[in-house]
Amino acid sequence: MSFAHDPQFGDRMITLMAALVLVLQIAMVGQRWLITNIRLFGLQSFLLAAIAGTIAFFNHSNHIYIAAALTLVLKTVVLPILLERIVARIGIQQEIEPLINVPLSVLISGGLTLVGYIVAESFYHPEETSAPAALGHNTLAIAISLFLIGFFMMLNRRKALTQVLGLLSMENGLFLAAISLTYGMPLVVEIGIFFDVLVAAMVLGILVYRIGETFDSTDVSKLRRLRG
Amino acid sequence: MIEILVKSVVQLILLLVVAPLVTGIIRTMKARLQTRRGPDIVQPYRDIFKLLRKGMVIPNTASWIFSATPYIVFGTAALVGLMIPMTATDAPLSLFGGVLAVVYLLALGRFFLALGGLDTGSSFGGLGSSREMTISAIAEPAMMLAIFTVALSANSTNLSEMARSAVRQSWMFLAPSQILAFSGLFIVLIAETGRIPVDNPATHLELTMIHEAMLLEYSGPYLALIEWGASIKQLVLMTLLVNTFFPFGLSSSWTIRGLGLGLAFYLLKLLLLAGCIVLVETTNAKLRLFRVPELLAVAFILGALALISTFLF
Repeated sequence: MSFAHDPQFGDRMITLMAALVLVLQIAMVGQRWLITNIRLFGLQSFLLAAIAGTIAFFNHSNHIYIAAALTLVLKTVVLPILLERIVARIGIQQEIEPLINVPLSVLISGGLTLVGYIVAESFYHPEETSAPAALGHNTLAIAISLFLIGFFMMLNRRKALTQVLGLLSMENGLFLAAISLTYGMPLVVEIGIFFDVLVAAMVLGILVYRIGETFDSTDVSKLRRLRG
Repeated sequence: MIEILVKSVVQLILLLVVAPLVTGIIRTMKARLQTRRGPDIVQPYRDIFKLLRKGMVIPNTASWIFSATPYIVFGTAALVGLMIPMTATDAPLSLFGGVLAVVYLLALGRFFLALGGLDTGSSFGGLGSSREMTISAIAEPAMMLAIFTVALSANSTNLSEMARSAVRQSWMFLAPSQILAFSGLFIVLIAETGRIPVDNPATHLELTMIHEAMLLEYSGPYLALIEWGASIKQLVLMTLLVNTFFPFGLSSSWTIRGLGLGLAFYLLKLLLLAGCIVLVETTNAKLRLFRVPELLAVAFILGALALISTFLF
């Protein structure tokens, strides 16, 4: 295994996995089934954990392993289980009704990816930086696209639960950007973000359940009346 | 000249033998995954030989197109099979622009199949033809975009050259654009071979069938030729996928030892890809016809992103 310690090989692997993350994000936009969407999210988080693990391996920084393990446990296992339980409890319809139809939203996601690449291009100065930013070039573009597409998903979807999924995939984009640009923030910051996300997802989960109970639907466009 | 002839004959035999086998393996794996016993792996061979010995019925309304179609479908599929690298990086033939010719020869076969479906004037044939053309009109651009991505990174549309450059670069060949292109082409493969989210190869239910609807009037040797041609086309598309994106194990010369090793790797890769197809077929339900463009739109976007990202890096 001569190439296993070649940093360029690590760079390739990270870029490849980041591309797969992008493919999964586009698949989430094109997918109507809630359960499948949640599983795609779980798979995406698994790839993120793998990216973090690879970065930790090639930079010999142990605290990123902890971030990778946290991603693996929380986002790949705990959150999908939590969300699937909510789906089972509110007996939600499997279909998601987006505001914009699926082919067009997939096209828009493609456009947003382009925007991500163009924005990332302006951060790229290979002549004046060392290795980390060179790695960031590709991955940063994908991270920005993830963020934008997640945002678009939140705007486009009506069901509260898919909006939660959009938020979570936005957070995945942030995590990817942070980890590929800085090679890991201080551990305290990472743990803070993780618990933030976990708590947010739980609160939102309860909120979704309540909305479902009160209105017999999780369609947020039906939330028009204020109650005092 | 003689060298080309020998290579062509070897590859042709390989193509004719392996294609029904792959169909059989996919059917058996699918049956086992659904806890059915399923047909034997060699069942497609038996079907073909039985059909070849049977008589056939030709509708009175049929013109020469009806009789020409099976030969054209089979011929284009076999010709395309000679133009792609199977076990060695050098394909026996490389005619008119390599991969472009591959795509459009397949399109020619599909065009005549659609004409053959229309020719008898039966309503099912027309229905099948119009559906097939609708789907291929969206699948073809997606396929072209994905293939151009690979052609760009190899600097050639010649398939042998593409395979050679992929082998030379080894893992350096793996780039994000390749992943995007592979995902796009995989969806196209599912659509083009009429597999489950798009079409169901095992059904003759009039509301859902696409490929089978065009063949309803065919029987006997003609049907055998079309079925055989369809399985060769499936093998060709699968080979395109495994050998341009995962060129490991392709032998660089036409020696006996190289070919044997190449063949072993090739069959292994085909088996893996067949496993993926079976998983997709078993875990998905068939899409409604009007949802199929959504799936193909994803393939198209993936191909377009792949092409754009090769320019951006």
